[in-house]
Amino acid sequence: MMEILKKLKILADSAKYDVSCSSSGSKRTNQTGGLGNSASSGICHTWTADGRCISLLKILQSNNCVYNCSYCVNRVSNDLPRATLTPDELCDLTINFYRRNYIEGLFLSTAICKTPDHTMEMLLQTVKKLRKEHNFHGYIHLKAIPGADNLLIEAAGKYVDRMSVNIELPSERGLRLLAPQKKHEAIIKPMNFLTSNIAAGKAERRKSRKAPLFVPAGQTTQLIVGATSDPDLQILKLSENMYKRFGLKRVYYSAYVPVSHHPHLPDISSPPLLREHRIYQADWLLRFYGFKADELLDDKNPNFAEDYDPKTDWALRNLDYFPVEINRADYEKLLRVPGIGVKSARKILTARRMHSLDFEDLKRIGITMKRAQYFITCKGKYSGPTAMEEHLLRPRLTLLPPHTAGPEQPSLFSFSSDVIAPEDAFTSVSGEI
Amino acid sequence: MLDFVYDGSFNGLLTAIYEIYYRRQVPQQLLSRSSQTPKLFVREERIITDETKAGKVYEAIDNKISSRSLRHIYYAYLSEHMEAGIWIYHYLHLGWKLGNKLDLLLSDERVHRIHRLSQKVSMERHRLLGLLRFQLLRGNIYYAALEPDHNIVELLAPHFAARMADQNWVIHDVSRDLAAVFNRKEWLATDFTRQHRLELLKEEEYYQQLWQEYYNSMAISSRINPRLQKRCMPQRYWKHLVEMS
Ligand code: SF4
Repeated sequence: MMEILKKLKILADSAKYDVSCSSSGSKRTNQTGGLGNSASSGICHTWTADGRCISLLKILQSNNCVYNCSYCVNRVSNDLPRATLTPDELCDLTINFYRRNYIEGLFLSTAICKTPDHTMEMLLQTVKKLRKEHNFHGYIHLKAIPGADNLLIEAAGKYVDRMSVNIELPSERGLRLLAPQKKHEAIIKPMNFLTSNIAAGKAERRKSRKAPLFVPAGQTTQLIVGATSDPDLQILKLSENMYKRFGLKRVYYSAYVPVSHHPHLPDISSPPLLREHRIYQADWLLRFYGFKADELLDDKNPNFAEDYDPKTDWALRNLDYFPVEINRADYEKLLRVPGIGVKSARKILTARRMHSLDFEDLKRIGITMKRAQYFITCKGKYSGPTAMEEHLLRPRLTLLPPHTAGPEQPSLFSFSSDVIAPEDAFTSVSGEI
Repeated sequence: MLDFVYDGSFNGLLTAIYEIYYRRQVPQQLLSRSSQTPKLFVREERIITDETKAGKVYEAIDNKISSRSLRHIYYAYLSEHMEAGIWIYHYLHLGWKLGNKLDLLLSDERVHRIHRLSQKVSMERHRLLGLLRFQLLRGNIYYAALEPDHNIVELLAPHFAARMADQNWVIHDVSRDLAAVFNRKEWLATDFTRQHRLELLKEEEYYQQLWQEYYNSMAISSRINPRLQKRCMPQRYWKHLVEMS
């Protein structure tokens, strides 16, 4: 018993920096009177002391790594307690946590034990047992191991809801410097393989409802922000490209948490959270707001501003696009207005079917006007408290809390979590920007 | 002035609404129980629940307005907000005129406040789908206690009946003395008070300890942010969370 407790602590500890945790988008049902199903909209089961949602049992099967990626706590050269859970131990944990409603399912990752094939085999055994022996229909997200045999990845894909291959670093150069055993092609290969298999699986399902599911909740990836010198523009373009090429469901970003000193790693004391936050906001803009990476950043300004969210920043540089007339603008145009998110835009479309809207109506249907008021007209009337000119708007729209604005602003890397203003903080999670 | 008092059931509320039209008399309030402090100049009229009358109102909403509005009304009722009753009446009154367009009139206060209540209830339901915690008792029954703001046990039950289909479970609203009980086939709602202390199975403590350990190790110490944590997971729910005790 104590043994498991110790292992759990070690392996959860190693997994916690993995940020992808959402469990939404699958449609596995419980037809056999077994245990579990997956909800179509994600359910959070608790929140950690740092305010992150826990939905899945996120854990490594093993942290006993043979690789030596310098940004990672589990690298072979690091002196750290090691542990490996057997497939049965992992099943027991998952099932018992699930039965008590602690979790929505399992998010299983692992370090590289011995070889990629050996590692993938171990993961496959675990998920197969869960489905076949335990009749478990809850959500499973599995890491596909780069370099493992496609057959193993394909076999595992039959049992899981989502798979991901971590792209890790935004550039090949970064990989070479920091993760010499990882090859860019080895990462891309399983992504490609999954993309075509997911598409084939979907086509089969269209022909017959009985065709087996293959990774029904799709593929995601994760990359680390701030471990290399790659600017935001490059990161965003990479994501844009991957959404297109691989049909990824999400790209997750993880601010680099300083775990070691290394000549190629930045010497920082805390993770670049604000930067991660801005990139998440921009990622929403790519996926749901019709923005292109090139619109948000360019070679002259390759990094996001600290004091404006990416949408406001874009708006301030494109004032000729505004004001937008609330009663006439189409959905795409409404989405360009700072402060009007996807939900708000839909609400406006619904409400104006009944009658045309004025500012009071907007407030009443729950649109936050704080930012939007500067960029819209209602029935031709503009009622922002100031003229629509860049130098007047900038000071009013800044997101920096007052105590940090000023001549000696802290550098990007020194931001700690409470420096993100509350009105700013939620937008990267909710996607309402 | 006049208040109607119904018995607290949904049918009671619908009966009261029927009576308003039948008697052509709009009360000040539609209350689920007598007000605690007697009010000067207010007469209270008891409404006797009548399934037939309630059924008529139910059908009318479903046919003449929409099933979506019906759902909003039911959720608003479950909110147990003091004024929910009379607000529902005003919402319906508008609904007879607007039909299935009722829910488009977002900027009308009569529509908006019902949506707000309904949304609060569905938000709490969604929250508790995650925050509910089962404990395994002697006799192999999974037991979960909760004290929600709104009366949502019935809204939770179908989710868990589909999910924990091979478990016997009880979801117990401690503050309302209500429970949903599931026997691996079907669930039913019932009055429920716990008579004695919970007798946990031995292994229960083991898994609780594992979960606590897991929960604690997931926090990233350089990012600790209690304000954000409380905003996502309000403190009033912590009492029944294994990991927060
Ligand atoms: S492969 Fe690299 S990133 Fe993954 S666990 Fe091993 S050292 Fe860490």
